[in-house]
Amino acid sequence: MFDVLPDRVPWYIVGPGLGFLIVGLFVMANQPLGASGAYVQTSGLLRRRDGIAVWRVWYFVGMFVGGLMVTQVLREGSEVRSGYDALRDVLPLGPTIVLVFAGATLLGYGAAVAGGCTSGHGLCGTAQRSPASFAVTATFMTTAILTTLVLRFATGGDL
Amino acid sequence: MKLNLIGLLFGALFGGLLAGAQLHEYDTIHAMLRLDEPDVFLLMGSAIAVSAPLLWLIERRGMKTPFGGEFSLSRSMPQRHHIKGGALFGIGWAIAGTCPAPALVMVSSGALLGLIAIPGIFLGLHIHERESQNQLHVGDGEHRNLQPTGK
Repeated sequence: MFDVLPDRVPWYIVGPGLGFLIVGLFVMANQPLGASGAYVQTSGLLRRRDGIAVWRVWYFVGMFVGGLMVTQVLREGSEVRSGYDALRDVLPLGPTIVLVFAGATLLGYGAAVAGGCTSGHGLCGTAQRSPASFAVTATFMTTAILTTLVLRFATGGDL
Repeated sequence: MKLNLIGLLFGALFGGLLAGAQLHEYDTIHAMLRLDEPDVFLLMGSAIAVSAPLLWLIERRGMKTPFGGEFSLSRSMPQRHHIKGGALFGIGWAIAGTCPAPALVMVSSGALLGLIAIPGIFLGLHIHERESQNQLHVGDGEHRNLQPTGK
C-alpha cells in the first residue's frame, strides 16, 4: 500500500532485530520465540482440548498479521499468486502441490519429534546454548542442504 | 489477557521481520540451501550473536519476568529423537522450502500454496501426537510449560 520498505530488508537489520525480539519474549514472559509450539496450541484449541496456552494462539495469529502488515501495507502490496516460483519453473501445479504437502508434513512431523523447528531450536535453543539445539540445528542444516542437492540432480540442475 | 496481547505483538513483529527479509518465499530458502547466497545464514547467525550474550547476561544477573516468573533458560543434552527429528525436519524443509512461521507469512503475502503447506505442517505434528499417546506435545525447542506461571 505505502511502499516504504525495500523488497528485501538486508540480513544485518532483520537478524539483529530477531535477536532482540528473542530476548524480548524471554524478558517479558520467559518463553522462546518458537513457531511449532504455536501450531500445536492452535490445533489443540480448534479441537477444544484442555490446558491450551491461549496466548500462543494469539501469537500464531500475530505471525500472519505481521506478515500482512509488511507484505500488503508497508510494501506496495503483493498480488495473489501460487508462490514457489523456482519450483513452478520446473514442475506443473499438480506435482508441486503434492511435493509441498509431503514436504510440509515431513517437516511438521520432524519438528514434533525434535521438539522444535528453525525458530525453537535453530534460533532460541542455540541462543540459550543448549547442546541438544546445536545438534538439531546442525542435523537439519545438513539434511536440508543434501536434500536440495538431490533435488537439483533429480531435475538435471534446473531446480 | 495482557499475555494474549504480548503474544499477538511478538507474533506480529516476528512475522513482520520474516516478511521483511523475504523468508516466506520459497526462492529465498531454496537459494540459501543451494548455497547460492549467504544472507539467510548470516541473518540467523546475527540473530544468535545478538541474543545469546544478552540472554547469558540476564541469566547471570537473574530477573523476575512480568508474565513468566523467574527468568530461566533451559539446556539439555542431545538424544536420539533430536537427531531423528532434526534429520526429517531438514528434508521436509528443503522440499517444502518453508517452515512453520514463514508458511503463515507466505499466505499473508498472497502465495496460495502456503495454504497447502500449513495443513501439511498440522498433519505432521498431529501424526506425532497420535504416536505419543494423544498427549499435546510441546514443540518449542528447549522448553518448559508453555503456559507461563505468575499472573
